[in-house]
Amino acid sequence: MNENKIKLIHHFLENSASIYPDKVAFIHDDVRETYETMNFKANNLAAWLIEHGVEKGNRIVMLFENCLEYVISYYGILKAGAVAVPFNSELKPDSLRPLLEDIEADIIITSSRFERLLKATGLEPHSLKALIISRSKLNWSESSIHTVDFESIICDKDSNSPEHDIDTNDLASIIYTSGSTGTPKGVMLSHKNIVANTKSICEYLKLTEKDIQMVVLPFFYVMGKSLLNTHFHAGGTIVVNNKFAYPATVIQQMIDEKVTGFSGVPSTYAYLLHRSPFAARIGELTRLRYCSQAGGHMAKQVKKELRELLPQTVDIYIMYGATEASARLSYLEPARLIDKIDSIGKAIPGVVLNIVDQNGQNVEDGQTGELVGKGDNIMRGYWKDNELTSSVLDNNGYHTSDLCYRDTEGYFYLVGRKDDMMKVGGHKINPQEIEDALVETNLVVETAVVGIPDDLLTNRLVAIVVAKGESCTENKLLNALSHIIPKFKLPSQIIFVKFLPKKTSGKIDKIKCTDIVKL
Amino acid sequence: MEIKEKIKAFIVENFLFGEAEGLGDETSFLEEGIIDSTGILEVVDYLEEEFSISVDDEELIPENLDSIKNLEAYITRKIQNAA
Repeated sequence: MNENKIKLIHHFLENSASIYPDKVAFIHDDVRETYETMNFKANNLAAWLIEHGVEKGNRIVMLFENCLEYVISYYGILKAGAVAVPFNSELKPDSLRPLLEDIEADIIITSSRFERLLKATGLEPHSLKALIISRSKLNWSESSIHTVDFESIICDKDSNSPEHDIDTNDLASIIYTSGSTGTPKGVMLSHKNIVANTKSICEYLKLTEKDIQMVVLPFFYVMGKSLLNTHFHAGGTIVVNNKFAYPATVIQQMIDEKVTGFSGVPSTYAYLLHRSPFAARIGELTRLRYCSQAGGHMAKQVKKELRELLPQTVDIYIMYGATEASARLSYLEPARLIDKIDSIGKAIPGVVLNIVDQNGQNVEDGQTGELVGKGDNIMRGYWKDNELTSSVLDNNGYHTSDLCYRDTEGYFYLVGRKDDMMKVGGHKINPQEIEDALVETNLVVETAVVGIPDDLLTNRLVAIVVAKGESCTENKLLNALSHIIPKFKLPSQIIFVKFLPKKTSGKIDKIKCTDIVKL
Repeated sequence: MEIKEKIKAFIVENFLFGEAEGLGDETSFLEEGIIDSTGILEVVDYLEEEFSISVDDEELIPENLDSIKNLEAYITRKIQNAA
């Protein structure tokens, strides 16, 4: 299949299966699966789904941690023309119920690890056609739910992809993202969205079939998913390690599997640099050729530390995007990392980025406005929420709610979230600036700055800090800060913690941080 | 309280909301979804304070930390080495 014929997401798998049938595509613990075998299994799943009445557009929920079954399910669902809806694997019943009600899925595919959770959630009200379980351990006979054994459906007997009339604009996946408001929204992505974004990412990362990617990020978020799709498109290999909680094991596996790429969100790198033997063993990662970072703003200090630690042969890609953009909108080319260290770079191939004012007019270089992205990767909209969709999608493209300016060379710089800016004693403050300054003091591993309502100041700033050493005191930190930022930006209170509350995405949970202050 | 009891009590209280059922000595915290990566740091913090040991970065591996049995063996070794 030539590049132009790859129009649907599962073509990535099918194409690589035809070119590299016996190549190991996927490694996880003892599992080493080839492209051909995986493709056959996905075909068999797709055939079963179609035989059992699944129609185009039907939603199929996936509830897995990263594993082979996830990948087979994902591509199998897509081959059947249905819509893959990966759920966050850390959700509890109270959060699962409203999502199930919202998505109206026909089928859930899951593994034994989530059986207890699903029972506690209560699936009866959701009119499921089937609950497909991999290696089930519990007894479902007393419930009215029709359960099916996953392993009996997928087998690796030779099979063709089902003949199915799927259009590139058809809905392929719905991904729930909570953003800053807390209420999950279902982002609708088409085959075209994901295919366009995947091809673009492969291009700027220069991915080839020789690339081996270590994956510690969950597939159920777009960043993790982009690692999967891009490496399958390139014919490379994915190494999944779900034990990043024990980073020494991840480093060991990166050495053993001769990994060429690693990706993380800011907290991944904070953890990697400060609580793992990464620095000590970097000399053994001889095949590592790139590290990429997305999933939020990473402090300048961390980028510098990473660049100093890694050999010059390892490229560092800082990237920016959104679920609504399928994953990626911009990247900073490695050669400019140091001199454009605060920049999110320029638009990825095929995407146009603009900065607009409140009236939707483009602003001049140097002026701050809202970042808007346009391209084939921009979502179709939010599931069952036309009003919300039209509040972020218009002729200019997708309104990111990120404030941004562009320098004279065309590099973009984020200033903060539209909704994060806060008034403190008459000044408009961007908490991210203070977070960066805190990390710049070299006394801090990670931090979150929140605004607490205050009668006198409107908001007062409180910094929740994970200090580097035992000897860091509030005075020491404020003193160091005062050399970096003006007095009116200094936090009125510093709270030292051992670890910041995080969401499953790895992003800092600012709502929980605010709760810490209120304790 | 013995080392094992202390550890079990800590895990049950902080990660299982008091429900000890299903937590065996060999239950893998990671496999069962009992503790995630932030949780591991909480455990390490507790160990360092409670048992006056220092956990090195290279020691953050499942063999040392991923079950009550592993934790007990690891802490015992650390205390003996320090003595």
